[in-house]
Amino acid sequence: MSNLRVDGKGRINRDKRIRFTFDGVSYEGFEGDTVASALLANGVHLMGRSFKYHRPRGPVTAGSEEPNALIGTSRGGAGRFEPNTRATVQEIYEGLTTVSQNKWPSLNFDVGAINDKLHKLFAAGFYYKTFMWPKSFWDKVYEPVIRASAGLGVSPSEPDADAYASRYLYAELLIVGAGPAGLAAALTAARNGTDVVLVDENRELGGSLLSEAPASIDGKPTETWLSECIEELSTLPNVRLMTRSVAIGYYHENMVGVAEKLTDHLAYPPAGAPRERMWRIRAKEVILAQGALERPLVFDGNDRPGVMMASAAQTYLNRYGVKVGTAAVVMTSHDSAWYAAFDLVDAGVTIAALVDVRSSVGDHLLSEAQARGITVKTGHTVLSVAGKKRVSGVQVGRVTGDGKVSDITSVSCDTVLMSGGWTPSLHLFSHTKGSLHWDEENEVFLPGEKTERCHIAGGGRGLWSQQAAFDDGVLAAEQALTSLGQTAKTISVDVDGDRAGSGIVMEELPSNDDKLLAGHL
Amino acid sequence: MLLIHCPYCKEKLPELEFEYAGQAHIARPLNPAEQSDAEWRDYLFIRSNVRGDHAEQWRHTHGCGRYFNALRNTVSDKFIATYEIEQPRPTGSEEGEKSNEQLES
Repeated sequence: MSNLRVDGKGRINRDKRIRFTFDGVSYEGFEGDTVASALLANGVHLMGRSFKYHRPRGPVTAGSEEPNALIGTSRGGAGRFEPNTRATVQEIYEGLTTVSQNKWPSLNFDVGAINDKLHKLFAAGFYYKTFMWPKSFWDKVYEPVIRASAGLGVSPSEPDADAYASRYLYAELLIVGAGPAGLAAALTAARNGTDVVLVDENRELGGSLLSEAPASIDGKPTETWLSECIEELSTLPNVRLMTRSVAIGYYHENMVGVAEKLTDHLAYPPAGAPRERMWRIRAKEVILAQGALERPLVFDGNDRPGVMMASAAQTYLNRYGVKVGTAAVVMTSHDSAWYAAFDLVDAGVTIAALVDVRSSVGDHLLSEAQARGITVKTGHTVLSVAGKKRVSGVQVGRVTGDGKVSDITSVSCDTVLMSGGWTPSLHLFSHTKGSLHWDEENEVFLPGEKTERCHIAGGGRGLWSQQAAFDDGVLAAEQALTSLGQTAKTISVDVDGDRAGSGIVMEELPSNDDKLLAGHL
Repeated sequence: MLLIHCPYCKEKLPELEFEYAGQAHIARPLNPAEQSDAEWRDYLFIRSNVRGDHAEQWRHTHGCGRYFNALRNTVSDKFIATYEIEQPRPTGSEEGEKSNEQLES
């Protein structure tokens, strides 16, 4: 189903085709694809089953926050199997073998899914209370059967065959995250001659610029600006760029642990090369520019394969050149999903309906949607999702004044894109015992008091636009340099076609069902 | 990982080089034989469990090897001061001192 690839989109290398297997079936992708993006390009959404009820699951995100698309990976050979790898993070390489998890006998036909039908019987804690009696069943029945069905993924049976390295590193300024805020901070500090380390968990630097490119930056196409920026940073002797490197912990006195993946994307790793390297980076100042994560919305069936975050669909399109479906329903309470919908329509995806729970949205959004011929339903909500192993449609209704739903209609689609707004990514900041304070107006937790010499920039401070993130990155760098006793020369980055937006927070979407089936684990 | 200032080496060095060595400023009774069992027990075993500024001994094991004293806030895990072994306990932070007083009263 190569028609799901969009010509001219994505940052994959179309000259280099790569074959890998998923559950024994061979698939083709391109260099730069993740397992998830390559499978989605082949029309595969069903990538696993849930832990307890064995509900079918597909990817909901396109990054490291993925909760569903967990797979087993192996490059062959003893001790090289790894369970619970995120399909959205694992890059493909020639010969990569992947398997789905929590299924028996197969992903498509699963006996354990009966648990889903019987979920009222299998309450939380069910496993631990029920199988006590009779005693003679312990060894023969309970132990083998229950043990086999418990746990997430299969534990490796062989000792790990790989080697792992560790290093210390010292820097004046460590920047975590190379999106607009991180890049702006890095440019400011680097041009000042400061000793800078910039780490990012992705294959490429750029962050949200890779998923949603504004029209132009400093009068240049985003791609040109980005490559010039990276070129400049990589030629400066006082800058160290680290990709595929996850900042995993923030310890006392500005020590940050960074796990750098070295060989997990290579078909033929050099002999003796370590698989990962653990860096202990001690920095005088730290800038956390980790952006924000999109919030899912709560409605019946929001875990069906085909239901995913609107930003994820946008990332699959713009970064990997993949349409996640052919007909999508967008369910949102935030402006950002509207822009995702516009990108998808421009790439040839049909938006069957753009449902916004808010009764009024900005006129510019409405007119842009109208120009693209999108059916807009403001003040509406998605009630439930049809389909088993893939979404086949949704029920949409109008939200009435008393929080109930009326005028319910069915809309058929093969993808549902949801967005409940954004949550600042403050995990590392919380490691430092930094306090969070609740911002009533935007309904988000924002960083409060700090205990370490760190600065937070961009989406982490609840700034929802790329221009604001660039500006905030410069500001954070200036503060850090001042704290280092250096005088910073300020820089400016001008974004054209910035897509700022706002939204509201919905704990749960309106529905006529008082008791939603909570806890589809 | 903490950075600790050794008052003898006069350098701030990683925690890895140091070893914790218990509460500071506990004087050994000059004549142990005259101690009652309760007094001797208190000297040997009874230690304060401070929520606030705590005076403690550290040893620069992988450095000069000497013992020194430190004042550390047990809530924030920040060192307020490190000082040579024979010096008296310095005044801690306002908050730390307050919580110490509350404990003693």
